[in-house]
Amino acid sequence: MPTVSRPVRGATVEVRGLTKRFGSLTAIDDLSFTVEPGRVTGFLGPNGAGKTTTLRILLDLASATSGTCSIGGRRYRDIPEPARQVGAVLEATNFHPSRRARAHLEMLAIESGIEISRIDPMLELVGLTADARRKVGGYSLGMRQRLQLAGALLGDPGVLILDEPSNGLDPQGIAWLRDLLRHLAAEGRTVLVSSHVLAEMAQTVDDVVIVSRGRLRVQGPLSLLTSRSRSSMRVRTPERDRLAAVAHDAGLAPRPVGEDVLFVDGATPETLGPLIASNGIVVYELVQVNQDLESLFLELTTSMTARRPPVEMAAR
Amino acid sequence: MTFTPRLVRAELFKFRTTPGAWVCVAVVLLLTGLGITTSFINGSNGVVHFSAPTTVVGLRRLMGAGYTAAIVMAPVVGVLSITTEYRHRVLTSTLLAHPRRADVLSAKVLASALWALFMGVASFAMIGAMGIPLLVAEGGSVAALLHQVGPVLPGMLAAYVLLAVYGMGIGTLVRNQIAGVIIALGLTLVLEPIVVAIFGSLAHMDVNFLPTRATEAIAGGVAARGPGGASAVTTAHVLLSWWLGAIALVIWGVGTAVVGYFTTFRRDIT
Repeated sequence: MPTVSRPVRGATVEVRGLTKRFGSLTAIDDLSFTVEPGRVTGFLGPNGAGKTTTLRILLDLASATSGTCSIGGRRYRDIPEPARQVGAVLEATNFHPSRRARAHLEMLAIESGIEISRIDPMLELVGLTADARRKVGGYSLGMRQRLQLAGALLGDPGVLILDEPSNGLDPQGIAWLRDLLRHLAAEGRTVLVSSHVLAEMAQTVDDVVIVSRGRLRVQGPLSLLTSRSRSSMRVRTPERDRLAAVAHDAGLAPRPVGEDVLFVDGATPETLGPLIASNGIVVYELVQVNQDLESLFLELTTSMTARRPPVEMAAR
Repeated sequence: MTFTPRLVRAELFKFRTTPGAWVCVAVVLLLTGLGITTSFINGSNGVVHFSAPTTVVGLRRLMGAGYTAAIVMAPVVGVLSITTEYRHRVLTSTLLAHPRRADVLSAKVLASALWALFMGVASFAMIGAMGIPLLVAEGGSVAALLHQVGPVLPGMLAAYVLLAVYGMGIGTLVRNQIAGVIIALGLTLVLEPIVVAIFGSLAHMDVNFLPTRATEAIAGGVAARGPGGASAVTTAHVLLSWWLGAIALVIWGVGTAVVGYFTTFRRDIT
């Protein structure tokens, strides 16, 4: 990172009982969560989960039907010099295509009361110095994301709110963004970053707030979510039904898949191996299958047909 | 609501760094050039000839050669100042920098007015650069023309400013850029003449408070039509006084902006 680590005062982001309705559609339903300084918090959920709407309400671009949002205890509109406190990246289309990149940042600096001298370091930080005089209309999506990020960092804010910032970035860009966000959080900033791809965020975030259909599903440290992901054993056996019965009697969760394949959820080689041996069951193949975070994410966000209470994870 | 100088600076910077605002200046110069040319087309006894204007009316037409540019392009600049933000979603960045929307709108009003004033000054510079040499070449009196600066120039610049505010009000109400421009031009060039014809001439109703009629009033009655500007004095005679015309334009401009603020500008930015 081109910047030198130094302490920055982040601020707590709080969302309390937030509800947003568009006519008969409830986009956000009584959503509450807290984002702490010094950590990268992933705001995760599938498309249409209400992430962007929540961030827009948080930033006073949209109104809430009920509930409150605050940053450092204040509504966004009540924060003096907000661009110096909060940097936001909402979408990669907030540009006039005929305006040059540097002029875009100059415009932001003027309207935010930020020194023009901040522009060049930010262009360098996001790797756009060589393209600063080009019109934004000729930028790729990834370059626009970088420019948005430069704009968000202009005021050296303690809080960063980023909506799908990795959209359009190539793998190197995603790795760069990951390092940048980790670095910014390590400086003490509050970093709230939304994404619909948990796997992409897994190496970046400390905490997760997972929403689906506008409701909170999970909130807490990523490490506890990781510990919830369970392993399964995949067994190919001509005695599928007998093994299923034995596993069931042993308190495991067998799932027949195909003619001679059985998944045993929650089992490990150490628990299932002796069970097979002691019952003299013929086995052709025995494989451990770990449920990855993405599968858990899908499970958490797609099984929402019935209203279920959110999963509150233990405090750090 | 407070006027925030840096927001006005930012809005003027936006004008400077987008081609639309400069296209408006170019069109103003073009229309002013056409206005200058037509003010030299005079007629007598059915014969049209190119000669220097000598009458008060003719000289006013030359000094007010930017009138058409004012009524066409000043509202368009106002429309562009707000609808460009919606079209390219720059409003999101603007409101993140300064979330108090009334302040943003007031800065846009002031910046649009200042850019329109710049267009008006450019128009008069064009008259100086093209109209005066032409007047001299045709044997006209520059001193006589300069006598018309007082009656025409302040009012014309005021017209640019107030029509830009009126256009910004339309843009705030409409939000869509193309629709805003079409509506602004349609109201000025199509609807108002129809309303004047139907309600003014036929029904004898007072149509002088309409935007272009009010503009004519503050611009010294320079909207004369036809060779020699024969109708100018007559037109001016029945128009509002300049200050009533100014009040009418302020009400049109601020009124549409206020209505736009309460009906559309406060809506969610999606």
